[in-house]
Amino acid sequence: MSSKETLRVIFASFFRAGLRAKRTRVFILLALVPVVLMAIVRILESSRSLTAGSSGDFFARVMLSLYFQLLIPVLALFFGSTIVNEELDNKTLVYLTTVPVRRRVVLLGKFLAALLLAALLVGCGFLLCFLAAALDRLGEPAAWSEMGVFLGTALLALFCYSALFTAAGAFMKKSILIGLFFVFGWESVVQYFPGVTQKFTIVHWVKSLLPIPPGEGGFLIFQLQPSPALESVLVLLFAGVFFLAAAVFIFERKEYVLADNA
Amino acid sequence: MTAVLKADKLSKWYGNILGISDISLEIGSGITGLLGPNGAGKSTFLKIAAGQLKPKIGTLTVFGEAAFGNSRLFQRVGFCPEHDSAYAEMSGWDFILLLARLHGFAPGEAAAKSEQALETVGLLESKDRLIKGYSFGMRQRLRLATSILHEPELLMLDEPLRGIDPLWRIKIIQLIKEYGRLGRTVIVSSHILPEIEAMTSEIVLIHQGKIFAKGDIHRIRGLIDSHPHQVSVRCPQPRRLAEQLIHSDFVHSIEFSPDGGGLTVETGQRDQFFTALMRLIAEGGVKVDEITSPDDNLQAVFDYLIGK
Repeated sequence: MSSKETLRVIFASFFRAGLRAKRTRVFILLALVPVVLMAIVRILESSRSLTAGSSGDFFARVMLSLYFQLLIPVLALFFGSTIVNEELDNKTLVYLTTVPVRRRVVLLGKFLAALLLAALLVGCGFLLCFLAAALDRLGEPAAWSEMGVFLGTALLALFCYSALFTAAGAFMKKSILIGLFFVFGWESVVQYFPGVTQKFTIVHWVKSLLPIPPGEGGFLIFQLQPSPALESVLVLLFAGVFFLAAAVFIFERKEYVLADNA
Repeated sequence: MTAVLKADKLSKWYGNILGISDISLEIGSGITGLLGPNGAGKSTFLKIAAGQLKPKIGTLTVFGEAAFGNSRLFQRVGFCPEHDSAYAEMSGWDFILLLARLHGFAPGEAAAKSEQALETVGLLESKDRLIKGYSFGMRQRLRLATSILHEPELLMLDEPLRGIDPLWRIKIIQLIKEYGRLGRTVIVSSHILPEIEAMTSEIVLIHQGKIFAKGDIHRIRGLIDSHPHQVSVRCPQPRRLAEQLIHSDFVHSIEFSPDGGGLTVETGQRDQFFTALMRLIAEGGVKVDEITSPDDNLQAVFDYLIGK
């Protein structure tokens, strides 16, 4: 069987298993939170409790604060770091490493399955939020174009974060703790530093792609000095590929010793 | 003998904990039992052979190749791990079919191989149930099925009978013996001597990470049979039982339990002792509540053999 076919088999199996996993159900609920909030704002706007146009502002804020700063990194963290860690915790890695399949194919197949699951969760949430926010502008191509930019940026962000956390998961057992520190510590603090420092975060490159002018996003993009869009896309793509290559490198060479060996 | 598996001065440790030390060994076709108490290093040895762990010192080759990171090797090797692990959210069928596909079988052939393997271990009817709904013994049989589905030339089974009910224990022993008869190589680990004894006469005794003895099981059995055994008997009238046993040649000593509800007998000939005890029970002279052997385990045997 070719590597491509093997990759497809692993991808399909773990995608199906992921759909059935309890964790996915929890994340579906989490992904629905912004949709519910968006719907509430929309209802309040219709009943004139909020001024007209509030839903548009709220959509931008939801996208930034809930999706790009919370849901996407957290989904990527849990889906990415568990690609290897879950196999170690459940002691199932042995099944995937005693078959005539290269370890890199195993990792990539599982990575793609996790990425698609996360992308579906984010994408569906995005779409529902967008429909709620832009119900009266659905005929406008500009609205759909904005949605496309949000979605494309979200996919790039998911890819980059997931690859980073996959590498971390392949390297260390308790990578979720380090990942949480990275997302809520490093990324949250450093992005507000002036100058080039903020370029050492993923969120800087992600925000640089979002179609929200400074000021509209409120304090969340305070001090953001956006980088050019093309540069941001290339950096996110390169970083994602680099982290993924690192994950493969580690996974192929590392000896995973289970706690009760001897 | 053409060596299928060859270890040369193989050592492995985890931090300060010794896994195995300076093991040199060749294993050819047929069944070889890897016998040793828990923590002796059996699993470490098998995991190195299955490419799960890297040796710290020395080498281990399977079919002339190093195992770690050598995925091609697993077309010829099957490994049944000791851990009770499986993808709980998958059905037994999805799990084994995935592994069959990863072994390179086309969809139709993979389904046929999976079906055959599940039938061999008696799980065909339960194949659509999620693995998390399987009993411990069923999961153990499923693991066995995954290791044999591609009919490997070398089959390594780490404690394959753990948690298996008596009926399936017999069937699995037959299956392993059949594998050996086909001229394939089977390495089975266990800490229970009679389990290994039922499968093969060729054993490797591992103790504290080292090979303690290698060869025919009957020689080892002879040593074990002359090992003084302790047997504890709980009974309402221990003094009466002691009175009937004390003059027997095979009884070395008798010690009464502090609570007065039993006694512990040390015997040099366990079989004769049990025959005599059963006769006393059958003839109605003695009432016995419970019989246990405090030292009837492999560790005690090893302690005896190494003169502790």
